[in-house]
Amino acid sequence: MEVQFENIKFERETKMKKILALVLAMTMVFALAAPSVFADGSSIAVCLASEPDTLDPALNSAVDGATLVSHLFSGLAKWAQDENGALVIVPDAAEELVEGVVNEDGTVTYTYTLRDGLKWSDGKPVTAADFAFAWQRAASVELGADYGYMFEVVDGYADIWAEEPPEGAALNVKAIDDKTLEVTLANAVSYWNELLAFPTYFPVREDVVANEGWATDPATYVSNGAYIMTGWNHNSVITLEKNPNFVDADSILMDKIEFYLSDDANNMVANFKNGTWQLIDDVPTNEMAALKAEYPDEYIVAGQIGTYYVCWNVNEDILPASSGLTGVEAENARAEIRNAISLLFDRNYIVEEIGQAGQVPASSFVAMGMTNPDGSQFYQTAGSSEEFDGYYDVSVDAVESNFDQAIEVLKKYYTFDESTFTFTDFPSMTYLYNTSEGHKAIGEYLQSALAGIGITMNLENQEWATFLNTRKNGDYSIARNGWLADYNDPICFLDMWTTASGNNDVQFGKGAHADVAAYSLDLTDLGVDVKVENGTWADTYDVLIKTIKGCTDNEIRYELMHRAEDLLMSTGCICPLYFYTDTYMISKDVDGFFANPLGYKYFMYCTIG
Amino acid sequence: MSPKTLKYILKRIGLAILTVWVVITVTFFVMHAVPGGPFMSEKAVSPAAQAALEAKYGLDKPLLEQYFTYLKDVVTRFDFGPSLKQRGRMVIDIIRDGMKTSVKLGVVAACMAGIVGIVLGAVAALRRNKIIDKIIMVITTAFVSMPSFIMGSLLLALFAIHWAILPANGSTSKGLILPIITLALYPMAYITRLTRSSMLDVLGQDYIRTAKAKGVSGVKIIFGHALKNSLIPVITYFGPMLAYIVTGSLVVEQIFAVPGIGRAFVSSITNRDYPMVMGTTIVLAVLIVVMNLISDIMYKIIDPRINLE
Repeated sequence: MEVQFENIKFERETKMKKILALVLAMTMVFALAAPSVFADGSSIAVCLASEPDTLDPALNSAVDGATLVSHLFSGLAKWAQDENGALVIVPDAAEELVEGVVNEDGTVTYTYTLRDGLKWSDGKPVTAADFAFAWQRAASVELGADYGYMFEVVDGYADIWAEEPPEGAALNVKAIDDKTLEVTLANAVSYWNELLAFPTYFPVREDVVANEGWATDPATYVSNGAYIMTGWNHNSVITLEKNPNFVDADSILMDKIEFYLSDDANNMVANFKNGTWQLIDDVPTNEMAALKAEYPDEYIVAGQIGTYYVCWNVNEDILPASSGLTGVEAENARAEIRNAISLLFDRNYIVEEIGQAGQVPASSFVAMGMTNPDGSQFYQTAGSSEEFDGYYDVSVDAVESNFDQAIEVLKKYYTFDESTFTFTDFPSMTYLYNTSEGHKAIGEYLQSALAGIGITMNLENQEWATFLNTRKNGDYSIARNGWLADYNDPICFLDMWTTASGNNDVQFGKGAHADVAAYSLDLTDLGVDVKVENGTWADTYDVLIKTIKGCTDNEIRYELMHRAEDLLMSTGCICPLYFYTDTYMISKDVDGFFANPLGYKYFMYCTIG
Repeated sequence: MSPKTLKYILKRIGLAILTVWVVITVTFFVMHAVPGGPFMSEKAVSPAAQAALEAKYGLDKPLLEQYFTYLKDVVTRFDFGPSLKQRGRMVIDIIRDGMKTSVKLGVVAACMAGIVGIVLGAVAALRRNKIIDKIIMVITTAFVSMPSFIMGSLLLALFAIHWAILPANGSTSKGLILPIITLALYPMAYITRLTRSSMLDVLGQDYIRTAKAKGVSGVKIIFGHALKNSLIPVITYFGPMLAYIVTGSLVVEQIFAVPGIGRAFVSSITNRDYPMVMGTTIVLAVLIVVMNLISDIMYKIIDPRINLE
């Protein structure tokens, strides 16, 4: 009996212990669940995208990564808002953005002095040698950075990337002393100051990056900018806090920024609606109209320098079997046909009914937002027409006349059946796009527009990496494409179409097109000694781009870029559909926010009212 | 443990290792056969940079050599190599980070599904054809047939937006409540139905009737005899269910932005991050194989009548 009672007592004790443990556990759960209490100070929570691939300034090639890096690092220059709210490039780590000195050989040397009191987040001083090291590293073959080519303008870059690099090939940049940095460019570049504000040009310290995993852990992440990284819960949230060592710390208004990591637009909207996040960088397409109506002041459509377009494979034969045309004649005919097909699409329908994000119908390739030297829009001065911008009229009123014009051109090459109003011998094509509802919807519209006149275009979608591979190799007839600017200069839209460019998806100057001498170029009226009649792509376009890159007169340079676009568009291989926009939502309580034309967002001067 | 059981277990472990090896081999070669590579991006990387990167990560070697090197590293050092996309991070660290959350999510959801499911199932069986049974059956039918992305979106809209009482983001512990519920509902409903039918089956057995005839109390019959025996199918389901919840939570992770292994797995495939694809595949395959093994062994332990051969 006694034993039995003891057992009961023991059981009671264990029960008590269990209850106690349970209470403890619950308290812990609640403690964890309760909102964490921050130290005094302002904070903002935002969501731009999912986990960045890297936060190493040299390796980053994503817009969201660039936003984070721009808060963490301080380059020679930075983007800022002037008193009128206009975006300008101003000195950051440099005392001033000096003018270059032109050398005898045409190279240009810039000598920068670093400001006093620059420090890394671990307290060590920032030196000119750190910049020189960072640039050499970012441009090196060993690092293989996506944006290594941003140093293309610096003297010495070509040697580094030559097939057989000369001994000691390096960028022509050196630290004269701790505070003086000297860099020599191959020739004058109008967008040089903007490059200095680009993340790839930010400094890193040799001993820090010696650890390959340095940029993945707050403990080893040493930066020199307005913020330090204090937390990175991978795939979840990155926390930045104001850097007390930063030379301009007094001007930084926001104490803490939390970058939540998600790429689910629905989840972003949920967190915005319930007030958890103050800025979200994506909204679901099917909710755009509703959100715009519900949050008129908080739903923002901003310009973004980029073009959504369709590209043709230049080597794809679209002539009817009976045409009998060959060589140059055949290529000229194809160019005319492709340009005619570009006229069949109603871009207003695409942006209003499918895109729905305030995109702008495009009639040229170099995107809206790129400016001429006089400040006017490059796309508005493209093409030769006085009546409309670009290479064709994309207004609603012109849809019908465009259509008639296209039919007339196509009738020259194909058999037209007047009774059914269709072409009967247009070879069928396949439109390739990367798997996505939006791209599919546009593909279906293009398909139906062509089907209306008897042209069969099948749709084929591929998963992203496969798609890139197929398009790059030219294994397609017609494909979806898009391009976002890296810096505010039209050359980044034009130099991608040279024969050797890795982005030459159209396959200009490759395969059969290499020998097609269908192009002419006369630059003598601009004082440039180039005149080619019936040249190949390499004789004309490649030469033109090379001339632009070596041109030091800005006015002439821009005129040359317009000529390059004229030549590009004359092939009909590029069919622009619309200029991209950046749609995001920002709480009306946030003041002092701005974004640059490349889509980088700046929170350091934000206050929450 | 009888020698026969031991032999069975050893045989099953051998088979499990073989299964994992087959998974590794097939994944490795299929993965490399898919077009596109890890260093491909919209903005073209120059061939020289591509070659330098391939040499750095050993991707320039013959495929067969890469395969044997990989196998050796994994078996001898448990080394999955570095991620090709998240430069500077090791695959094992990424998996560990993701698994921490996924396992937490999975275990809590599985326990919730198990406990609630068994109770509801037992109640439904004991109150067969009564109103409570019917309500439980209707609800569980709805939960079984509702895909998790609808359930997740619904819970998100109600609890995170409309009433705004729970976070929509899975980055905090509180934020895991909704994803756990979303994940638990399907298996919970399934277990309810499983328990109910199995319990009804057991309640009709002769030994229950005998116990009743002997005057054993209702409570004792249910807890002492019926429930225990009706849990056999539930236990066999429990192992695969846990594996399913941990590995199959991708949709839920996406909806609630939970930093789990599912999202990491899918993005590794689209990124062609070869070591990451291999690492996650191996870990998930091992998990599923082990769970199945455990549930088979449990089966034998609970019901000695079952012949393992």
